[in-house]
Amino acid sequence: MNMSELNISEPAVFQATFAQALADETAAVEMFADPAIARALAVHRNTSAKAAHDALAANYPVLRTLVSEDSFAGCAQAFVASHPPRDPRLCLYGEDLAAFVAAYGPFSQAPYLADVATLERLVTEALFAADAEPLDGAGFARALDLDLALTLHPTVRFTTVASPAASIWLAHQPGAPPDALERLVWIDEALVVSRPGMAVQVAAIDSSTLVFLKACQSGATVAGAALAAAALGADVSALVATLITAGAFRAGLDLTLARKT
Amino acid sequence: MDMTAGLGFKTEHLEEALTSRAAGLWFEVHAENYMVEGGPRLAALLALRERRPISLHGVGLSIASVEPPAPEHLARLKTLADRIEPAAVSDHLAWQRWEGGHHADFLPFPRTEAALDIVVRNVDQVQVTLKRPLLVENPSLYADLPGHEMGEAEFLTQLAQRTGCGLLIDVNNIFVSAANLGFKADARIDAIAGELVGEIHLAGHSKDSDPASPLLIDSHDAGVSDAVWALYRRLIARIGPRPTLIERDDQIPAFDVLMAERDIAQSIMIEGDDRYEYV
Repeated sequence: MNMSELNISEPAVFQATFAQALADETAAVEMFADPAIARALAVHRNTSAKAAHDALAANYPVLRTLVSEDSFAGCAQAFVASHPPRDPRLCLYGEDLAAFVAAYGPFSQAPYLADVATLERLVTEALFAADAEPLDGAGFARALDLDLALTLHPTVRFTTVASPAASIWLAHQPGAPPDALERLVWIDEALVVSRPGMAVQVAAIDSSTLVFLKACQSGATVAGAALAAAALGADVSALVATLITAGAFRAGLDLTLARKT
Repeated sequence: MDMTAGLGFKTEHLEEALTSRAAGLWFEVHAENYMVEGGPRLAALLALRERRPISLHGVGLSIASVEPPAPEHLARLKTLADRIEPAAVSDHLAWQRWEGGHHADFLPFPRTEAALDIVVRNVDQVQVTLKRPLLVENPSLYADLPGHEMGEAEFLTQLAQRTGCGLLIDVNNIFVSAANLGFKADARIDAIAGELVGEIHLAGHSKDSDPASPLLIDSHDAGVSDAVWALYRRLIARIGPRPTLIERDDQIPAFDVLMAERDIAQSIMIEGDDRYEYV
């Protein structure tokens, strides 16, 4: 059977009407005179809104803790209304929440909330990104050739934020020191997110480490990346050791294949 | 029968799921939660599939949509199914997709001949792509719609006959729909074409907050009710044992609590109605 043989007009009209009634409670009353259908529409609205809210709550746990349950629910509700899910994979829902939070009036006195949301999105991306063997110290030493390029691990994400969002996030993880929030230093942070195994790691990094990662990402050789970081006064061997501990690079063939000619 | 009573898999129960020695135990997951490139959740499922049969239960195919299944979503389901080699793949007789948006619920539609043609086309497309049969589940209904040309059981039977798909009968959804729409659940259970049933779902429901005329909501946040167990016994007595899932998606209790419910279903299937006086 092909599309041209199907009579889609009546089902299409129904679905268009029902979708509009779901989106607009007032319109729903005119479209479906039966109060039972209005109630059914309300059930469907509630169920899908709860699913979207729960997905955001799961993906932004630190933001939720920072603002309290009710404030988070209000923000989530507004976000869902303006950015409804488009993908059935709700485990990935909320890509644009950080930008939304940055412009969300009730949170305007706390601009760091958008930064925490930015970081939590990177954590979600790292969590579900492709698995790969990370490059370890021995592998790095074995393959060390300054003309090689290091390939970033597929889970690695990094950015800079205008608040100590990484430190705030770390302070909310299990096992964080109880006084971590009190010791917070209110500075801009660069941060790297990685998942060398099954656990996501977040670290605040200095500007030279960020420069090194950016250089690697754009395909620079080890020598090129090291020079860029050293220009900022970095101890390059310590910097590389930190990144290897974070599992920031990919092991194996890629290292060789990335050789610059 | 290899698969008897199973549980919805929760990653926090991985160790217990891997080490359980229960005969016939199997697990079901929401396929969409595993349509990702890697990470701990997918790794847990890959570990579990080495020990137990896995059923992939979709919540996003939208097979009652006027549009054909979303190609990228279907491709992801195919990738996952090829990786997991599931014992079953299922989704709902409902639609979620409209103009690129995804309503995260199972939306109803008038069961007309025209709608049947569309669902047949969509199920055909899913099965051709997956190279696997689909089990189609009856959703919970909250109001009667105008314009039905056939009952749900008849619609599902025709769909199965025309596409070769099987049926996933959610007994709780029948109970919830019967209460909300005012039909007899017993009669609906008896109208199911038993030979088409490949899987059964059991779950808990709740009442909504309108005290005047409460609707039952398919909330999956509680144990299976006595009335639903009674309907399940009635169905099994007529059609024989089928892989049966205890579904719980909210207020998740300990693994043992879920296993105790699962063991009731197991007993009803294996030992027959008379031996069990638990509920």
